[in-house]
Amino acid sequence: MSNKLVGRSFARVEGREKVTGAAKYSADVAVPGLLHGVITGSRIARGRVTSIDTTAALAVPGVVAVYTHLNMPRLVVPPPPYPKGFLPLQDDVIRHNDQPVAYVVAETLEQAREAAELIDVRYAAEKAKVVIADAEDEIFLAPPGPENPDKVVIGDPVGALATAYKKVEGHYSSPTHTHNPIEPSATVAVWDGDNLTLHDTTQSISLVQQVVGQALSVPKDKIRVLMKFLGGGFGAKAPVWAHTIFTAAVSRELRRPVKIVLTRAQMFTSSGHRAEYRQQVALGADREGKLVAVRNISTQQMSRNDKRTFNTSESSYMLYGFPHIEVRHQGVQLDVQMAHFMRSPEGPALVGLETALDELSYELGIDPVELRLRNITDYDPVTRTKIGNDNLPDCLRQGAKQFGWSRRKPKPGVTKDGREYVGYGMSVEAHTYHARPSSASVTVTPDGKVVARSGTQDIGTGTYTVMSQLAGEALGVPMSAVTFELGDTNLPAAGFSAASVTVSSVSGSLTIAAKSARDAVVALAVADTRSPLHGLAPDQVEIENGFLFAKGNRSRRDSYQGVVGRHGRPVEGTGSYLNVPGYTTGAIFVEVRVDPVVGRVRVTRAVGAYDLGTVVNRRTAESQVLGGLTWGIGYALTEHTVMDRNSARVVNANLSTYMIPVNPDVPKVQAVFIDKPDATSPVGVKGFGETPVTGVPAAIGNAVYHAIGRRVRDFPITQDKLL
Amino acid sequence: MKNFDYAVAATPADAVRLVAERPGAAFVSGGTDLLNLMRDCAQTHDRLVDLNGLDLGGVALRGDVLRIGGLARMSDVARHPVVRTRFPVVSEALLASASPQIRNMAALGGNLLQRTRCGYFRDPGSACNKKVPGSGCPAITGENRGHAILGGTDQCIAVHPSDLGVSLRAVDAVIRTRGPRGERAIPFGEFQVPPGSTPERETVLEHGELITSIDLPFSALAGKSSYLKLRDRSSFEFAVVSVAAALELRGRTVKDVRLAFGGVATTSWRSTDAEAALRGKVLDAASIGGAADAAVRGAVPREHNGFKVELLRRAVTRALTDLGGVR
Repeated sequence: MSNKLVGRSFARVEGREKVTGAAKYSADVAVPGLLHGVITGSRIARGRVTSIDTTAALAVPGVVAVYTHLNMPRLVVPPPPYPKGFLPLQDDVIRHNDQPVAYVVAETLEQAREAAELIDVRYAAEKAKVVIADAEDEIFLAPPGPENPDKVVIGDPVGALATAYKKVEGHYSSPTHTHNPIEPSATVAVWDGDNLTLHDTTQSISLVQQVVGQALSVPKDKIRVLMKFLGGGFGAKAPVWAHTIFTAAVSRELRRPVKIVLTRAQMFTSSGHRAEYRQQVALGADREGKLVAVRNISTQQMSRNDKRTFNTSESSYMLYGFPHIEVRHQGVQLDVQMAHFMRSPEGPALVGLETALDELSYELGIDPVELRLRNITDYDPVTRTKIGNDNLPDCLRQGAKQFGWSRRKPKPGVTKDGREYVGYGMSVEAHTYHARPSSASVTVTPDGKVVARSGTQDIGTGTYTVMSQLAGEALGVPMSAVTFELGDTNLPAAGFSAASVTVSSVSGSLTIAAKSARDAVVALAVADTRSPLHGLAPDQVEIENGFLFAKGNRSRRDSYQGVVGRHGRPVEGTGSYLNVPGYTTGAIFVEVRVDPVVGRVRVTRAVGAYDLGTVVNRRTAESQVLGGLTWGIGYALTEHTVMDRNSARVVNANLSTYMIPVNPDVPKVQAVFIDKPDATSPVGVKGFGETPVTGVPAAIGNAVYHAIGRRVRDFPITQDKLL
Repeated sequence: MKNFDYAVAATPADAVRLVAERPGAAFVSGGTDLLNLMRDCAQTHDRLVDLNGLDLGGVALRGDVLRIGGLARMSDVARHPVVRTRFPVVSEALLASASPQIRNMAALGGNLLQRTRCGYFRDPGSACNKKVPGSGCPAITGENRGHAILGGTDQCIAVHPSDLGVSLRAVDAVIRTRGPRGERAIPFGEFQVPPGSTPERETVLEHGELITSIDLPFSALAGKSSYLKLRDRSSFEFAVVSVAAALELRGRTVKDVRLAFGGVATTSWRSTDAEAALRGKVLDAASIGGAADAAVRGAVPREHNGFKVELLRRAVTRALTDLGGVR
């Protein structure tokens, strides 16, 4: 009956602006009198600055100021969630390579850049430790994080493994990864008296407002943060990093607007990375293929200043109903910039678990899909509650059917096509989304248009589009009537756009606000003697395509434009909402072709099946599946942040040699969605964005094994490991 | 990156003069590598002389050679019908290079002068003998998965990145130049300088000497040639190992052959030993195996690049097997 907007495929409403270059990203902001900032980074990883000579830099024409630890404005180190634990340029201590040692400001970018290279820094260097292998004897059990435990031990896993019918045990590892959003981080700071406007590349405008306020000792209501478009974040832009704080501080000092754009190389050292990760995984099963025990002892890279672990292991105990569990999160503090969340934190642990399960399936002689179906539970052994994950078996069955899994010959290394061996592999995918509060407003204007607002972000994922759909659906107006505004701290506040929470969180407040506006308009209509609906009970009014009808008598008709137009001023509804956190799962199936003579792996086909609750926009949801697959291919086959173990320099800090997949590396992917509303959400949605990368690396590794019978447990699976 | 002057050359003589008169000057054509080198502080210039207005872009028959202008764009040369049919290895090497966008911009002369992708060379914060002579080579004991197993010294093991260069060694190309001291022709095999103790010097070109053309002599050998490139992803990536092969068979016997390798050596590496292992022999699995063994003789693997020895053997085997139609 209603004009359904939810569930359809809509192209991004801002798509034309983006592909024509009309969209203004943070670094595109033009302000009169703008100065340009460039950061000079340290060339040692550990030690102290003993002297710093800025004479040559200051002599470059156009240079306005050079700030070092000696003359940088004193700042307050913000408490968490500012992640770094210290602010550079406040003392002479060097804690990682490329740590800022100077902030140069000049009239033009070129002048600032030239000057930044002329700063003469002398160091007292100490030997740095860079990778886990440099500090094996310093590995320790990391403290629990705010949203993940340090260890989970249930039952007697060692004993259960000892007596298991079949068991597998393996060491799995992956190197440091770097987020590499295409848009580098940028900040433009503009002061007007005591008021600061920041244009910032961030996954959370409200966090920027808070953290910059803390660092500069400025009340946050004096700070307005704006961000209309983001060119990808993937976790790199979820926290506030030092360059944003510095830019606000030097702009205040100089009384002029200042812009900074990090270089690609600085994106490898300034906004976190996925920690180098190792895990020892052991699984045991009984004769019927029931899993009896899991042990997952993982170790990850940390910085000197931080003891948090960002690669989480909940999937090791939440998916399969193991009666005996031991999961431990170890870390080791090294002289590197800090690790942080990267799409997706559950990925590394899942790679070990899902690879080990594949190995166990061969030991047991049970099909990998069947082995999972025999064990999947919907029960969290830590909280002892239901997870809300009972459609996962359906994902496995539907994905397998769509992929043609039944054609798979169980024996590895027997399917050949020309020079290539064909392999099938699969993995479960799983991601936790957290709870974040949000608020929104929805305004119906006298011309019958709808403006919906929330201080959330569109990080490239489609927030503008899906929120327009949800507002339009709740009000009963077409897509074309709705404008959604975001990315401004003057709007009703919302949380960060990370951990896949945006849709699950903002959809709630927005829908409440839209329904409230709708109810207000209906109330106006039935009270308005000029309305054909006058005198009806509000529940006797139904709305479609912007028109209000009397139930059962469509000839009694009014419209938003009519009602609010006569009212003469906008009608607004507001809403606040805290979403219920959850765990979104699915399954990925891939086909690979491997030429073992030259060690070449191609991913040639993929099918993913997911339960993301109600699918709001099929097209943007499918984009997440494609993006996840692409990321997973990078993880599985190419990506590696290479750090020199002597100097701790990143020696591939560019997109030429840090290899992300290119178009011919990525096949078409078919997405299957269960599309049943999630009961915890008012609009039926679950957080989804990060789920469809988590299982891809294991699925590819499992497919490589199936193709040629070679098990690679150290990612990425490069040529040298297959010869 | 320092400020620099920009000058547009009206004639080749003008271009040569504008660079020769200033020690810090450099030619720029496509600029696809040069600008990155300047941004990364791997090269510093105070003047760039723009060659793009010069009439050096054509591909033309000159008697028994095909003459390709030094400013010809990679994509134009790759799809040129004579290049495709009479020098397939050159066309294939160009098409396996970079991305379509870069191939549309980058000139052939500049391609041969591109610098190594060695991460230490490209990182302003790392030591590198190529960048600052005498500063040291961290790659020798460091992250050297991408580095050379052939032609390295204790000063430098950086790989020459050009695919085109590897293909030119397989077709006996000649580089024609114009410099402050006039014109000359340099066989491509003598064009590059191995690192020795001066890795900063990569070619025999003098300062201000301009590549005006690349001559490809027609031959039966060049007409039966191919380029095999192995890399870490499908496109837009330098070679881990590549093989340019050219083969002239009489019946099943190898009359003449060229074998050159990329991704494994400090220069575009021709292996006369591997060629000698085939010349006069019946092309079969045994002779190909002998050539593959000869190809890697003398290789010096390091901590992370040892796999290139075996991968090169296999790549040579595959290239010859395919090109020679060996079953």
